[in-house]
Amino acid sequence: MTTQKQALPDFVREHDIDHVTLDIIENALKNIRHEMDRVLVTTAVSPVIREQADEFPLIADRKGRMIVGQFGSPVDTVLENSPYTVGELKDGDVIATNDPYMMEGSTSHLPDILLVRPIFHSDERIGYALQWGNLMDVGGSTAGSIPIDARSIFEEGVRMPPVKLYNAGKLNEEVLRFFCHNSRTPRETRADVMAIAAGTAAGAQRVKDICDRFGKDTYLEACDALLNRTRTSIISLIRQLIPEDQTFEFEDYTDDDGLGNGPIKLKLAMWREGDTLHLDWAGSDDQVPGPVNFLLNKEMFQMFAGVFLISAVDPTILFNDGYADIIEVNIPDGSILRPKEPAPLSNRLVVMARLFDVLGAVYAKAIGFNVSGSYGTSPNFVYSGVKDGGEPFQTMEILYGGIPAIPGKDGLDGHSWWPEFLAVPAEYMETYYPMIVDEYSARRDSCGAGEFRGGCGIKKVYRFLSDGSITYQDDRAHTFPYGVAGGKPGASSRKTLIRKDGEEIELPSKVRDVPVYVGDRLVFETAGAGGVGDPLERDPEAVAKDVRWGLVSPEAAASDHGVVVADGKVDADATASKRGELRSSRGELPGFDHGDLPALEEQRRVIAETRRRFNEWLSGELGAARTNSGG
Amino acid sequence: MYNVAVDVGGTFTDVLVFDEESGSLTEGKVLSTPDDPSRGVVEGMEAVCEKVGIGFTDLHLLFHGTTVVTNMILTNTGSRVGLLATKGHEQVLLLARAWTPGPLYGWMALQKPDPPADPTDTIGISERIGPDGSILTELDEEGVREAVAKLVDRGVESLAIGFLNSYVNPAHERRARDIVREAYPDLSVSISADIGQEYGEYERTLTTVVNTAVQPRTMLYMRNFESSMREKNFGGRLSIVRSDGGAMSTQAVSERPIQIALSGPSGGVTGSAYLAREMGVPDILTFDMGGTSTDVSLCRDGETPVRRDIQLGYFQFKSPAVDVHSVGAGGGSIAFLSASGALQVGPASAGADPGPAAYGKGGEAPTVTDANVVLHRIPPGVALGGTLALDEEAARKAVETVAEPLGMGVEEAAEAILAVVNENMHAALRVVSVERGHDPREFGLVAFGGAGPMHANALGRLIRSRSVIVPPTPGVMSAFGFLSSDIQNEFPETYLRTAEETPAADLKATVEGLVSQADEWLDGEGVAGENKRFDLYADCRYYMQNIQIPCRFELDELKGDDSAFLRGRFEEAHRQRYNFDLPDSPLEIATIRVVGRGTIRGVSLVESEDRISEDGSGSVLREDRVYFGGEWLDTPIHYRGKLRPGDNVDGPAVVVQDDTTTVIEPGYRGTVDRFGNILIEEDRES
Repeated sequence: MTTQKQALPDFVREHDIDHVTLDIIENALKNIRHEMDRVLVTTAVSPVIREQADEFPLIADRKGRMIVGQFGSPVDTVLENSPYTVGELKDGDVIATNDPYMMEGSTSHLPDILLVRPIFHSDERIGYALQWGNLMDVGGSTAGSIPIDARSIFEEGVRMPPVKLYNAGKLNEEVLRFFCHNSRTPRETRADVMAIAAGTAAGAQRVKDICDRFGKDTYLEACDALLNRTRTSIISLIRQLIPEDQTFEFEDYTDDDGLGNGPIKLKLAMWREGDTLHLDWAGSDDQVPGPVNFLLNKEMFQMFAGVFLISAVDPTILFNDGYADIIEVNIPDGSILRPKEPAPLSNRLVVMARLFDVLGAVYAKAIGFNVSGSYGTSPNFVYSGVKDGGEPFQTMEILYGGIPAIPGKDGLDGHSWWPEFLAVPAEYMETYYPMIVDEYSARRDSCGAGEFRGGCGIKKVYRFLSDGSITYQDDRAHTFPYGVAGGKPGASSRKTLIRKDGEEIELPSKVRDVPVYVGDRLVFETAGAGGVGDPLERDPEAVAKDVRWGLVSPEAAASDHGVVVADGKVDADATASKRGELRSSRGELPGFDHGDLPALEEQRRVIAETRRRFNEWLSGELGAARTNSGG
Repeated sequence: MYNVAVDVGGTFTDVLVFDEESGSLTEGKVLSTPDDPSRGVVEGMEAVCEKVGIGFTDLHLLFHGTTVVTNMILTNTGSRVGLLATKGHEQVLLLARAWTPGPLYGWMALQKPDPPADPTDTIGISERIGPDGSILTELDEEGVREAVAKLVDRGVESLAIGFLNSYVNPAHERRARDIVREAYPDLSVSISADIGQEYGEYERTLTTVVNTAVQPRTMLYMRNFESSMREKNFGGRLSIVRSDGGAMSTQAVSERPIQIALSGPSGGVTGSAYLAREMGVPDILTFDMGGTSTDVSLCRDGETPVRRDIQLGYFQFKSPAVDVHSVGAGGGSIAFLSASGALQVGPASAGADPGPAAYGKGGEAPTVTDANVVLHRIPPGVALGGTLALDEEAARKAVETVAEPLGMGVEEAAEAILAVVNENMHAALRVVSVERGHDPREFGLVAFGGAGPMHANALGRLIRSRSVIVPPTPGVMSAFGFLSSDIQNEFPETYLRTAEETPAADLKATVEGLVSQADEWLDGEGVAGENKRFDLYADCRYYMQNIQIPCRFELDELKGDDSAFLRGRFEEAHRQRYNFDLPDSPLEIATIRVVGRGTIRGVSLVESEDRISEDGSGSVLREDRVYFGGEWLDTPIHYRGKLRPGDNVDGPAVVVQDDTTTVIEPGYRGTVDRFGNILIEEDRES
């Protein structure tokens, strides 16, 4: 592949700002981001934002480049696809959109809304405050707006092109009313949109405060200097860590698309050429008919690639769009990561989560920092229906699983891979929704063995108190979270519906609108994470502790780690002999252990067959449904 | 009669005695004795009593703030706790709230401590209460007996019981507790319904477990403390200071030790609020800068702000505490350069050992204190804490380590370090003010703590506060605050009903129930009727929001078919803070709270006569060179003990006293007010 060297970005130059002022402005900007977070999390009402903090703030400079944030700035794209020109923007304007295709993936499915507020100081536009938030419902064919069997984006909810939600400070009541009317949860959606707007207002006001204090020109110069500073640091990290003239590759699979197609391959290659890091998704599978297509925004992926390095090496580096020109990304058109409109996108999280696994593994190869495979996705779970009193209800909860192991550290059990997310208390769910949480525990033996074990997945058992229907989107049911450097894979995920009469039905990893009735239970088990390093090198005391804590069974302690535990204590002699026995009988340890999977063809057959049987069962259930409270 | 306050900190034990007759305050500091803190307390009290010329028998009220609980929590040295949980939810503490820190990949950095009740010592009990309080599964009483026997056999020293939805109906927890008490009368047992009345099983269980863990040693400490006071013939009233700034008896502490987890830091805020009320400047920001961290808060109308939870290390507990915001910025904070070359200060700290390079105890990293020494903000020859001589050369050498890569001179780098750390503290002040919709220009800034007065002028300038107030005893502000405490406890109840659909009579019945609980508690604390006061709050939010905004009300407002009168109060606060309201959303009353207070006057301020203002030259010790804004300026060094009300001190100036120095920048003027505070304001004449 040839690389056309573009001109250096305009911010690469000497900056007329003193060091201390720059450091102070950097700190102040970081604080603004946190404040935007706080405003939103405290004032939003839907549990995904309020209890789980599924939202992301960003401050961009006057050219729309991200100065602080996590996802890379889409300001240019938003404006290009709107009827508004930069010159016409006014103080107090807020542009809102949720259309992924228009946003080239900056929002990647319809429940994610993005608000962009230009920031003005003394009549000049000096930047933008942006905030994303995950809304509970934006319409479409199923509650929660993630129909796992959608065939096009038109089934997935209302699409809002970039529109002015506020025009010079005045709320566009008509457009908001229209948008919320399409939601099954209009009140929550409205409150959340208002809260997101308040977050951007807080961000904008603080940027104005900085300009008041240091002068507008100093602030603008600081933005350029901060972009440049980050760019320089990333170049030096890349040069230090990633050897030139070597290509690092990794591939892994997402289960399926919800329609019976799978497994779906993601393949990434990475190499360095001078100061440029190349990331190439060629070889990944084509887009699929079901909604797991992940429209990957290039700028966002550049950001992810840099954030991994920063987190692994020096978390004090500010990440921003400064390094956009030194990370070259190729995403083939028509692939699972660049599907063509109107391919469905709602369930893209499962591919997004695998993308992070693959990125981690490529880095593991390139810089020797071993990260195992994770629980795979953060499944959404929706339960909706009508309460006894006639009031409709709709829950939305994100569940977690096993966090990967890294060198020197076990994975966390049942924790969130995503930053700052929280589990919803059972007492909250039970107070507001007709359900009882019978069990919430770490899933025994779901963690991948290793010198450092992976985290356990969770087991959550819901008992339903109203007739209704359930929808969820999980993954890693047909594949395993891989182990690294001798570590074993974690357990795959599993869902079981237990009818009130005791009938048990194994459900696939993705379902929508499965009818449930009072007294039914759903056993929701998420995947664990893989281990890192040779399990026979794991400290036997750590294994005994896992056994005492109920995370590992005595049988698995012996067969996976070679540690014999009796009454919660290590039997040292038996352990030595067990480990000797296992060592002599095993072959060479694989670099990556994906678990005992059948050949690809057979996997495809099983996935298709599972879906076919489930669909058959579901149509029987729907035919016999006692109420119609779905969707 | 005399009243005394004792604040036991990590390094020093502060003692402050108030003479009710003359109104004078006498302070003293002795080294803390962590092996047996009460020894330091007795030594400190004896020293100050001697200074005043009195004995323990002359003491009327004794207020005690202690870190005994804080330290046990932070070092995980409480007793071994067994936990009975609802079957199916045994791993509630292990799974926590699934939180990992930001940004992306932030989980890589999370060091999560083990649960405070070992999962091995946690047993699930078959029982279930529904969210409405109904009993879904009867309590398995035999299961409780067997579980406790097993746990006691394993060696647990105390027991916590945390069942789901017990905050709505505590019947099962209570019954289980009674069963345990029957079988093991000496085993200390806490139930979660007594500790927290809000939904959230993780936080409530965690708080209960930690309360239980610290209980035995706290009770022992309280008993020892009381007996050592009795031995010294102290016959007055002994009160322990709570995290929310109130005070309570040792008996009450023994039941809820978690409520004194932040005993110390609360005093500075209550003291400042009291001072502000007396001065007639009721709206203040407080700025307490110590060695490793800085605590800031905002008090309106002279009220101490209270929040519902406290953070200690990784853990967050449900317990009322003074609402302070902390940042890892203090005198010991270390300056360094990040990989991108940005100058950063903290949160890593040199602590007390080795401490800043200037301490001469082997520290080499440049700290904020070193920067102050380099710039002579701590003038040469001044001993920190009255005893510790400072090594200026060592400080310069340390600061040089960042000056060189930055291409700066040592003084320039030292000023840069101060600018960055000031900015971090400025951000903290903004969190409690601007971010919550308050304009700092309407607030005074009360500065205290060992390093507070040194940075106060700079912070006042950055946040543009009305004025900066440095109280007479900034080094023992917590002890001063203790003296101004009320006997206090709060009685909350989760409500979760919408104001529009709650007849005022219903609300009234709940409030009256809580008031009678508070009344009974105050009786138990020996508070007489005329000194009792009950503050009523409804903590409200829009239906399903995550906030709770306290709305204060009076009993006689409760009339009519609904409780919608709360809406206006809520919306005013919501608009101020978030700039929007939701007219279509019902208003949810999340919690009803009654705070019972018993006034016991431990201190009152004496004003001096008005005095013709003087130039303060009588207090000048000497001239020195101090570095401000890029140059060395000739600067008078004043002695605080010689400043008199009415004196003016023009900046640049440094005022030294035993435990801190106050810096007055060029262009600012310090004025000593009638209470002995130094007020620093911009000098408009210059």
